[in-house]
Amino acid sequence: MSNIAGKAYAMNVITPIRWYTAWLNKLIFWVALQRPATLKGLITLSLIHYARWVIIGRDQFPHVHPSQPRETLKYSYMLFFSNFNGSWDQYVDSFTFAIPSGLDMFWKWNVRYSKSVSLTPFHKYIRYNQLDTLHYYNAYPLATSNDVKSARIVKAKLLDFDSATRDASDDDFAKQYRTLLRDLQHDLGDMYPTPIVSMSAYQVERRQRWHEGQLDGSKH
Amino acid sequence: MGNLSGNAYALTVLSPIKPGIIADEQIAYADKVRSILQGWNGLPNSPMTAVPQTYLCRYFVLDNVYTESQPGGSAPDTLNDWLPVVPDWLRRAAMPAHDQLKSRYLVFSANVYVGPSGDIAPYLRGMWQAIRKEVESIWQYCYGFDEVKDADGFAAYIQRCALPASLFFVGSNDEPLPEQLKALYIKQQFARFAVDNQGLPTATLRQNFQAFMKQIAPHELATPTWEPGKYRLP
Repeated sequence: MSNIAGKAYAMNVITPIRWYTAWLNKLIFWVALQRPATLKGLITLSLIHYARWVIIGRDQFPHVHPSQPRETLKYSYMLFFSNFNGSWDQYVDSFTFAIPSGLDMFWKWNVRYSKSVSLTPFHKYIRYNQLDTLHYYNAYPLATSNDVKSARIVKAKLLDFDSATRDASDDDFAKQYRTLLRDLQHDLGDMYPTPIVSMSAYQVERRQRWHEGQLDGSKH
Repeated sequence: MGNLSGNAYALTVLSPIKPGIIADEQIAYADKVRSILQGWNGLPNSPMTAVPQTYLCRYFVLDNVYTESQPGGSAPDTLNDWLPVVPDWLRRAAMPAHDQLKSRYLVFSANVYVGPSGDIAPYLRGMWQAIRKEVESIWQYCYGFDEVKDADGFAAYIQRCALPASLFFVGSNDEPLPEQLKALYIKQQFARFAVDNQGLPTATLRQNFQAFMKQIAPHELATPTWEPGKYRLP
């Protein structure tokens, strides 16, 4: 199991939804797509890299070969995949505290959805319907979603500064350099590895320590 | 299309796993897939580092669907408590039904850069070209994969197993991965530069800055930069 890759956590949740109300959920998502303002709450949760909702109709599970038995399900299903920074509790709680009504709007047609408030039944609901990831890959385990966003700003401002000061006097250079640092205060910062950057990184470093004789091989 | 948000694409794949057993190992195909994927966690880094334009991705095996466990508590339950004449079958009819999948599924979910075309096929062909051996090692146990012989066949097969996203939210950004990695490299280096060059005379600072810009080569995406999956700093 590997729900963690660096600073990202992979959440998978699968929940049943009555086949005759699944279209309502699809409609809600469609409206959210047409009116991006409805996603403003999600944008405030800056700890999210990427998230998605997928609704599988009860007769829409992939059927790719004649020898494969067709599914005969009573419910349709909603899959939720998220990539976020921080711990499970921080993430689930931030949903409850920041966008409870938005969350309820997306899940309200799911069978026995507990509502996002109060917290304990909601935790139980997510925990019960969550599936663990076997292998999780992150192209930038050292970075958070905010790091990725701010890196883009740092790069752009640095290039602007470089071209604007190429022919400037020393005094002007110093002044603009200070302005640059002040502008970037919110975006600069060292990125350090977390204690366990990924399960694979953990395994590699454990093996390395084992080779260096720091671990007792018979016990690991 | 729900799969696309700007230049980023949400790929959701459910490939049905055949119900066979590997005789030598006495292990079901689905468990073999699980074991191989677990094995990837012990490698120096994920095979997916070689697949261009992959931001984040995950694999797991879906054994079955879930039925929410919370017992009772619906209106007929309460009525049944108050009025014993409310029949038990009515109370039970409101309980969640039990579902059972007939196949287990290999789930592959990826967030990738596809560019303005919105076409996922080039990404999938790139995946086949980069890690064909690893792809075959897990997908060989899935229905219909026997017919996959090349990159085009793989792209077509995966698209048959793919499901459309109803909503895809990009909280990060949708730049090409090499752009993101270069920007992260620059951010890290510049943060250190700013700390190391505090309080210097302007002439020295300027000289150091020019040397710094030359060293980081901001317009060169290939190098110096962070390689995909980099998890340690020097």
